[in-house]
Amino acid sequence: MKKLSILVGTLLLVAALCSTALAGEPQDRLRSGIEKVIAILSDASLKGAAKRPDRQVKLRAVADGFFDWRELSRRAAAEGWNKFAPKQQDEFVAAFSELLQKTYIRKLEKYNNEKVNYLGEQIEGNQAFLKTQVTMKDKTIPINYVMIKHDQWMVYDVVVEGVSLVKNYRTQFAKILSKDTPDALIQRIKDKIKSLDEGKNVDDVVGKEG
Amino acid sequence: MHILFRSLLAALALTLVSATFALAADQAASVAPKQARPSLLLAYGDVDIWDETGQIIKKGSGGDKMTLSDAAAQTPDPLEGWNRMWFGFNDKLYFWALKPVAQGYSFVVPERPRLWVHNFFHNLMFPVRFVSLVLQGKPDAAAVETSRFIGNTAFGLGGFADITADSKPYKPIGSTEKDLGLTFGYWGADNGLYLVWPFIGPSSGRDTLGYVGDYFLTPATYINPWYWSAGAKGYEKVNEVSLRIGDYETLKDASVDPYEAVRDAYLRNRFKKVND
Repeated sequence: MKKLSILVGTLLLVAALCSTALAGEPQDRLRSGIEKVIAILSDASLKGAAKRPDRQVKLRAVADGFFDWRELSRRAAAEGWNKFAPKQQDEFVAAFSELLQKTYIRKLEKYNNEKVNYLGEQIEGNQAFLKTQVTMKDKTIPINYVMIKHDQWMVYDVVVEGVSLVKNYRTQFAKILSKDTPDALIQRIKDKIKSLDEGKNVDDVVGKEG
Repeated sequence: MHILFRSLLAALALTLVSATFALAADQAASVAPKQARPSLLLAYGDVDIWDETGQIIKKGSGGDKMTLSDAAAQTPDPLEGWNRMWFGFNDKLYFWALKPVAQGYSFVVPERPRLWVHNFFHNLMFPVRFVSLVLQGKPDAAAVETSRFIGNTAFGLGGFADITADSKPYKPIGSTEKDLGLTFGYWGADNGLYLVWPFIGPSSGRDTLGYVGDYFLTPATYINPWYWSAGAKGYEKVNEVSLRIGDYETLKDASVDPYEAVRDAYLRNRFKKVND
C-alpha cells in the first residue's frame, strides 16, 4: 500500500510538472506584460491627472515591449501592404501604432481592479493563440490574443468579444485603399491623431464619407 | 493489487515518454519554421491560423481563406449612404442628448444602484431569452434561465439583486444571452443586408425581424399608456449608457472610418453571439 501511495505521489508530481510546462512561453510573456500594465495603473505614486504624462510614457514602453506593431500593421493593411513603398510602410507603421497607443492607453486608464483569467493557449509553429477573460463589474469579457515569435513572443492581434482588432482595421483600410493612394491613407491616420491631440471633442472627429 | 500497480507503472512510463516526445516535437517545431517564414504577405485572411474563437482554420480548396466571422462581416451594405446618414444621426443623438443625460444621471445616482437597475431590466427581459432558447432547442439553458428568473424575482427583490449570478449550472449550457435575431442566425439565416436604424443603431435584415419579435416579448412594451412604456424603455437606455460611457468614444477615436469600424464590430460580434 505504501508503495502505491508513493507511486501515486510520483504520478501526481509528474502530472503537475507537465501542466506547468504546458503554460508555455507565450502565456508567460503575455502575463508578464499584463501584470506590468496593471502594476503601473495601480501604482499609487503614478495616480492622478498630474502624473498622466509619466504614466503614459511607462505604459507605452510596456506596450512597445510586447506588441509587434509591424506585424500588426502589415496584417491590417493586408493586400495593400505590397502597394506601399518601404518608406511608406515605415511611415504607416509609425502612424498606425501611434493612433492605437493614443486611444487604447486612454481606455486602459479606466482600469478599476478588473481581474484577468488565463484560459489556455495553443501554439502552432511560431504563432500562438491565447484565451483570457476579464471580469468586470456586471459581466465578463472574453479577450483573445494572437502572438508571433520573431525574436520574442509578441502580440499582433487582440480579439475582443469576437471582434479582431486587425480585421476591424483591415475592413477600414481596404475600403480607403480601394479609392485612395497609400499616402492618402497615411495622411488620414495622421489627421486623426492631430485632431485627437488638439483635444477636439470626439464629437467632431467623425470620419469623412468613405 | 498487482494489476493496479502495473497499470500505474505503465501510465507513468507512458506519461514520461509522451512528455519527452511532446517536448522534442515542440523544440523541433519552434526551430524549423523560423527560416521558412520570411515576412511576406498573403491575401486576406490566409495568413491566419486560428479563427476568432481559437479554432484552427481548415485550409483546403479555394474559398476557405476566410473565417465564418469574415463572411458575416462581408454582409452587403447596399444602402450605405442611407445607413451613413442614420449613423451620423445616432452619433449626434449620443453626444448631444444621451451622453449628457447619462452623465448627469450617473453624477446623481452612484454606480451600485445603477447596476441594480441594470439587473432589474435584464431580469425583466427573461421572455426574450426564454423563447429564443426554446426555439433554438436548448431546453437545459431555457430551464436554467427560468430558475434564474424565478430566483431573482422572488428572492432578489423583484430582480434588483442578481442573486443567481454565482450559481453555475452543473453542466455547461453556453450563453443564455439570446434574442430572436440570434435565434434566426442559429437556424442558419443570413444577415441579409446591413442596416442602421435611428435610435436603435446598427442592425441587419435578420436582426431587424428579430427585433420586431423581441419588441412583443418585452414586458415594458405592454405598459399602458404608451408614454409610460416609452419612458421605461428610455430610462433603461439611459441607465445602460451610463454604465458604458467611453466605449463608443474609444472605438470612434481609434478608427479611421468610424462607420466601417462599427459595422465590422457589430457584424462580427453578432456572429460570435450566435455561436456562443
